[in-house]
Amino acid sequence: MGVTFNFGQFFLSGRTVIGDTLHEIGLKNDKLWVLTPDTGAALKAFKRDCGDRFVDVGIAEQNVVGIAAGLALEGNIPVIMGMIPFMTMRACEQVRTDVCYQNLPVRIIGTGGGLTSEGGSTHNAMEDIALMSSLVNMTVISIGDPNMIRDILWASMKYPGPMFIRLAQGKKDRVIYEEGTMKYEIGKGIIAKEGKDVIIFAHGEMVFQALEAAFRLEAEGISVGVIDMFTIKPLDKELVLRAVEETGRIVVLEDHLMYGGLATAISDLLIDRAVYPKAFRRLGIPQVYAGFGTGEELRAKYGYDTEATVRAVREVLEK
Amino acid sequence: MDKQQEIARLEALAYDLRKKLLYLCGTYGGPVHIGGDLSAADLLIALYHYGMNVDPNNIMNPARDRFILSKGHGAVCMYIAMALRGFFDYDEICATYGKLDSAFGMHPCKVHLPGVETSSGSLGHGLSIAVGMALSAKQKGQKHRVFCLMGDGETCEGSIWEAAMAASSYKLGNLVGIVDRNGQLMTSYTEDFIHLEPYADKWKAFGWNEIELDGHNMAEIVAALDSLPAPDSEQPTVLIAHTIKGKGVSFMERDIGWHAGALSEEDLERALKDLEATYGKSGVENNGRNL
Ligand SMILES: Cc1ncc(C[n+]2csc(CCOP(=O)(O)OP(=O)(O)O)c2C)c(N)n1
Repeated sequence: MGVTFNFGQFFLSGRTVIGDTLHEIGLKNDKLWVLTPDTGAALKAFKRDCGDRFVDVGIAEQNVVGIAAGLALEGNIPVIMGMIPFMTMRACEQVRTDVCYQNLPVRIIGTGGGLTSEGGSTHNAMEDIALMSSLVNMTVISIGDPNMIRDILWASMKYPGPMFIRLAQGKKDRVIYEEGTMKYEIGKGIIAKEGKDVIIFAHGEMVFQALEAAFRLEAEGISVGVIDMFTIKPLDKELVLRAVEETGRIVVLEDHLMYGGLATAISDLLIDRAVYPKAFRRLGIPQVYAGFGTGEELRAKYGYDTEATVRAVREVLEK
Repeated sequence: MDKQQEIARLEALAYDLRKKLLYLCGTYGGPVHIGGDLSAADLLIALYHYGMNVDPNNIMNPARDRFILSKGHGAVCMYIAMALRGFFDYDEICATYGKLDSAFGMHPCKVHLPGVETSSGSLGHGLSIAVGMALSAKQKGQKHRVFCLMGDGETCEGSIWEAAMAASSYKLGNLVGIVDRNGQLMTSYTEDFIHLEPYADKWKAFGWNEIELDGHNMAEIVAALDSLPAPDSEQPTVLIAHTIKGKGVSFMERDIGWHAGALSEEDLERALKDLEATYGKSGVENNGRNL
């Protein structure tokens, strides 16, 4: 497994894939409703052909989640497209109490994961995985390869309970896997690259960066595996345990607060199972409001860019 | 200075602000919220250069009027309006806007930019913060006002109306809400999906003194600011400023595509020419008065 072809050369807009996929599904499944709080520029085709199941509430995130809950209570499957900080923080209680408490099949797709928004701390999304994965019944997905969105959205039509789907900017996302060769299953992580010495766990945009670091180290004779843990909740426990057993050295890389995201989910699992790796490093956002700059600049500033990932791998190898 | 001269001075400043905004939009290299900047430009000039008691040399003066940019994506318009008043350096704004470690980000950050009253950028927060500031002033017997500029799309947020209710309940005559009523949100026009109208009636029903005006007519803005009730009166006031998103550049006006964007070198030139055609060299719109 682990298809990486013409690595890093192809880009795709995640938002376009969302728009196309929801349109495809909407034409076939009249339970699908699409809602947005003024962030649905990519939804034109759905709006055109399924207009009676399209709702734009204006800039009102709490309202859109409540409306989605009502639609779901009537047997519909609502998908909301919004910006992550406002969907997961402004509307957090609606998500928890109206949606999760009642275990309703509401899907929230958010753009601007981590520090990719360039809008500063009001627009950065560094707590979303912590918040959303703490909610009972919630499924949490973080998209690395934009082509993944198609499978996940189709699967979400049959998947029980609420779901949060995180994207980076969703404008110019890197294609990681050769199109058409992958099957994405919720609850099953992907071995993006095999490796014997160290395993990097990553999700979302950081999968690409993890692979970049891994290829660089490979050239020095260090064998680094990369696991794309796009399914943060439910976590692919078996895959985590296997990776720790095989290499014993783990780096977790994510565009999220260092605590509360994937690294925490993995370390909780390891402690619960009394599995102790030889070395465990987490790379992500420290306890700061990160400020302005591009995602790449901010990752360098806060110590989790490609360079830092390479360094972290070297360090865990010494332990 | 008599009123006519004062208005001409403000118009010239607004023209300068628009030019500077366009220049930044053509040189920054990333998206600038130019549509909503241009719709708010006249209002921000009138506030920072006429209506508000502020002093760039004494930014923490307790007697200053407070300004909250609730539509935080209009930050750069506020930065430059403030720069023209002496708060900041325009060249520094241009050189660092949105860049790593800059104080001048896409949304205002009080922690890194003293002179700004509060951080903002997530819509729907500002009016509640303004209510808190106004309550404090009232309790302390202070005589300043608190101004809060909102986008009309922003007022889809329920929190705005929660704050509106609190403001009239607590009789905050020192609070002035201003709505940039440009009729557009980010991806649509305000009456396409969610109907804001009858808009003035909504504010009145929430207990506000309401003034409607042309947000691009400096004389009207000045008159509205002159007519504000005393800060120790008992009813908050909202100025509903009818504006045009992208005002001054014909290819941007009322175009959904120009909520945010970057200008190419050619388009920048085209936009500046357009602006000059609209406003003339003096900064007064060519409506006959200065021809
Ligand atoms: C809570 C929240 N939701 C969404 C956004 C994204 N957003 C930024 S500007 C904007 C449209 C704002 O429209 P309006 O308030 O009318 O401002 P203007 O048209 O004057 O730019 C949106 C949806 C945001 N900043 N905050």
